[in-house]
Formats: sequence, structure tokens, C-alpha cells
Amino acid sequence: MQVTRAFKQAFLERMLLGFRATDVSSKSMSFQEKKSFIKLSADVAIAVARGSRKWTRGLIASVSKEQQKRLLPRVIPRKQYERLMKPCSSNSWKIPRSKKILRKSLRVSSTRRKKKLCAVEKRTRVLRRLVPGGESLSGFSLLDETLDYVLSLRAQVGLMQSLLMTCEASKRRAHELKCTSPETKASTVGNRGRCGMRTVVVKAEKQFSLLKKEF
Amino acid sequence: MEPGGSSGVGSGNSGTYTPEIAESLRFEEEIQSLIHQSFDGSSAAGGSFTALLGLPANQAVELLHHPGPGEPPASAASSSPTAGDLWRLRLGEHHAATDALRLPFGGSSTFVERAARFSVFATDDSPASSSGGGLSPGLKAEPPDSDSPPTLPAPAGRPRRPSKRKECEKSKAKAVAKKSKSAEENTSAAKPAAEENTSGDKLPYVHVRARRGQATDSHSLAERARREKINARMKLLQDLVPGCSKITGTALVLDEIINHVQSLQRQVEFLSMKLAAVNPRIDFSGLDHILSAECGPLAVGSGCGGGASGTAMWASDTAASTGGIRRMPPPQQIWHLDLVHPQQSSTVWENNGAAHPHFLLSPAISLVGYDPAGSVPLNSNQLKMEL
Repeated sequence: MQVTRAFKQAFLERMLLGFRATDVSSKSMSFQEKKSFIKLSADVAIAVARGSRKWTRGLIASVSKEQQKRLLPRVIPRKQYERLMKPCSSNSWKIPRSKKILRKSLRVSSTRRKKKLCAVEKRTRVLRRLVPGGESLSGFSLLDETLDYVLSLRAQVGLMQSLLMTCEASKRRAHELKCTSPETKASTVGNRGRCGMRTVVVKAEKQFSLLKKEF
Repeated sequence: MEPGGSSGVGSGNSGTYTPEIAESLRFEEEIQSLIHQSFDGSSAAGGSFTALLGLPANQAVELLHHPGPGEPPASAASSSPTAGDLWRLRLGEHHAATDALRLPFGGSSTFVERAARFSVFATDDSPASSSGGGLSPGLKAEPPDSDSPPTLPAPAGRPRRPSKRKECEKSKAKAVAKKSKSAEENTSAAKPAAEENTSGDKLPYVHVRARRGQATDSHSLAERARREKINARMKLLQDLVPGCSKITGTALVLDEIINHVQSLQRQVEFLSMKLAAVNPRIDFSGLDHILSAECGPLAVGSGCGGGASGTAMWASDTAASTGGIRRMPPPQQIWHLDLVHPQQSSTVWENNGAAHPHFLLSPAISLVGYDPAGSVPLNSNQLKMEL
């Protein structure tokens, strides 16, 4: 079973960890930078949550190459990184094939199945570029990794969507609260004491009542 | 309900913590429910497939079986006892009929290969059958008459016929697939589930039988096995990618797969952009604790008061988020479906949301410290009763 609850939870945890590590909540970043960091966190999270597959290793390798070890040690704990990347000695390792068979198939394909080769081979090449780490995969394992990758991408998209929706919904509520109770602002600015908490409580209770009315 | 462990909370006022802690706990539970709901929701998209994908090879086997049946293993005596027994039984049943005996495949791709219907031909038996599973004479008598009729109406989409037979190290049950007229999908579907799941992904050695009139040299046999492997995977991918089941032809299916992967990657980028727009308001450092803690949820927001100070910041973010909206309808549609749930969690989010901007002002505050874990569960029950 691929898309399990544990997998999703692991993904969310890792992503939030990544957000924290890359500090996307700070004000000092540009929008593009924030977006790239969020995407980075999400991709790394999906790769780590999945475990040790060829595409995950390819993904992490490409990310680390891109980042040049800048942020990655923070986003991924060192131990897990070792564990994930250990089994793969080199990503560009070609699957060893008997030369005789290769020669024969080459001969056969060149003479007879030219058309089929072009159509399928082109697409296989494109797919290799899409799937991370796909350059070194044979036909069969490429399809296998694509399968896995598609499932993980789906889970990633779904979870990011729900996260986004929750954020937006709470933002909406925050605005409503702001509109309905402006007077409490003055009293609670910078105040972390009893009054502040009470105000928060009051606001939350208002929200609950609103919610009850809605449903 | 005393918030016993509220030492880290910062203001030593235990009395007011109670409702807040309750709310924050409620928030965590709602977040959990949101997550779980979204889990169900997001898995529902591929739910029917992913459920099947639990045993992908099973699926493949099932797919294989759909158009056509499999044959009972002639070599029932050879290896796997359970499968062998089943097959022997079925041999007995179907001795008269020429119906296919579905193979109770273990669900590995090995079985996929073996399960490919292949006709049992006496001629091809001797050279290839080095595996040691000899055909029972009864079965041998059967195939010649049963094979010829089914051979002609080759079931659509199932051109696969039995291939060759090789050495099988792992001594799995060998399947002698027999062509049949009637489909026994239900029984075959039950069988793979019942059978033990073998390797699943690996295809060490494949016992296949050479088809009539086909070359039996090792190279073409190997090629054929490889092709069948790839075709099995292509079938799985076809099921996964929506709208691909009707398409025939490898190139077109690959086209669809590529489009699907590209669209998913684009969706991820788009969502990350939206999250970047909405992000500054929510301090994500608190959330991971919420998600990780199952029984001892953090009262993230309860620790710091004064949430209203942050409200001013929120106004600035709406402009950024609305600017980013430009994309495809599909993400929007999907979002609307889930909209019901975030509403429930959002109220409790509000509690945190109110507190978070305060954290932004003072990033030095570590959220890890705010953990009146002991008191929280009690307050959550309280709050539950309120609602």
C-alpha cells in the first residue's frame, strides 16, 4: 500500500519541518524565494516520506546539487540522508546487459521496428527527463518508478491543497474577527498577560458561535 | 481541571488557561480530523486503484485474467503446496469442461508471466520443461481438444499466450494457463487475494512456455518475457492515469502519462506559490508539533496571549494572495469539495492564528516550550461537551 496515513503524516511533518528550517515565515524573503523554498520542502518531504526508491534518491540528489549543501542539512536530518542515499552508489549506473543480446536487439530493432522505436522512444526519453533519477533506468524500472512517482505526486498535491485551504479559511476567520472586534486590539497589543489570553478566548468563542450558526 | 504542566506557558495564570487549552486541543483534533478527512479524500482519487495497488502484481494478474483465463498448473505437484492443491482440485472439477481454471496467483509479477495463458502442447513439453513439473497425463489429454477452439477466438486485448518455461529457483507454484471461454474473474479475483503474496516486484526467473510456432531460442524468449513485464506495468499505469484505459497503443498511453506527470508537477508549483502568498500569517513552526503529537497535543496558541496585535498584519497578505490567483480550474474545483472541513478546524486555527503573529513579532520565542500537555486532554473533553 503506497498512500497510507503514516505516509501522509510523515509528509506533512517533514514539510512543516522544512518550512521551519528554511524559515519561510520570515518577512525578509522575496516572494520567489519563499515559493522556491516551499517547493523544496514539499519535494524533500515527499521523498523522505516515501523512503528509498530510485526516484526519491534522484530527487534528493538533484536538490542537494542545486542547493550545494546550503540548506539541505537542516531540511533533512543527517542520519536519514545517509540511510536514503546509501544503497545507490551512483545514479548514472547503467543496468548491465549482455553485449550479445544488446547487439542482437539493436540489429533487430534497426531493421524492423523503426517506426515503433521512434514513437515510443521519444516519449520514453521525455518521461526519463520528467521522473527524477530516470536517466539511468531501464524501460521496465522506468515505468515502475513512474507509477510510484505519480502516486506520490498525487498525495503531495492533495495534502498541499488541504493545507492551503485550512490556511485560507483561518485567514478568512481572522478577518472576520478583526472586523467584529476592533476594540479589543488596543488592549492586547503587545500584551502577553492574562488580558491577552482572555481576549483570545473571547474571540475563539465568538468564532465557535459563528461556526455553529453556519452549520 | 488544573493545567498541571503549564509551567512553560509564560504567564503563571492557570485559571484562564483552561478554555484556551481546551480550544487549542480542539484545534489540534480538528486539524487531525482535517488531515484524516483529507487523507480519505485524497486517497479517494486514486482510492479504487490504490486499494488495488496494495498488491500491484495482484492487480496485474487480475487484469491479465480479465480478458482471458489462466490455466491450471500442470505441474501442480512441483512446488507450492497450497496452490498445487487448489490446482489439483480444479483439475478434477474441470476435467470435463474446458473452462479456464483461474490461477490463484500469489500476485507477484512472476505469476504474471506464468499466468499468461499458454496452451499446453505435448510437443513443446519435453525440451522446455526442465523445471521438473511434468504435465499430468489427464491434463495432457485435455488440452488438445480444449485448446483448439479457444485458440481461435483470442480474447480481445489478451494476445498473450503461454510463453516459455525457464528455471525457477524459488520453486513457486508453476501456473499452466489454459485458455478458456468463460471468464472466471470472480474466482480469480478471490484467489490472488487468498494466495500468499510473493516477491511482488522482482522477477528473478520466469517459467514460461513457448508458444506454438514461436522461436524457442533464449534470446527471443527473454525478449518476450521482458515485453510482457513492460506490458504489465503499462497496464497498471493505464489504470492509474485517468482517461487512459480506453487508449490503445503504447505511445499514446505514454503521452497521457507524460501529460499527467507534467500537470501534477505544475500543480505542485502552483500550490507552493499560493502557500508562499498565504504563509507569512501562519507560523508553521507550531504546526509540526501538532501533527506529530498524537496523544499529547500542544497548546500552541494558548501560551502567548495578545493575538490581536497581529491582525493588522493579515490585511497586507490578502493583496498578495489574490494577485497569485490565475490558474487552472481543476485545483479550484477540488478545493471546493474540501471546503467544508477546514471550516471546522479554522475556528480553532483562529486561536492559533491570533497568537501566531505575535510569534512573528518575537521569533525568539520557542514554541516547543509551550506544552501544558498534561492539562490539555482534560480541557479538550470539556470543550467537546460545550460544542
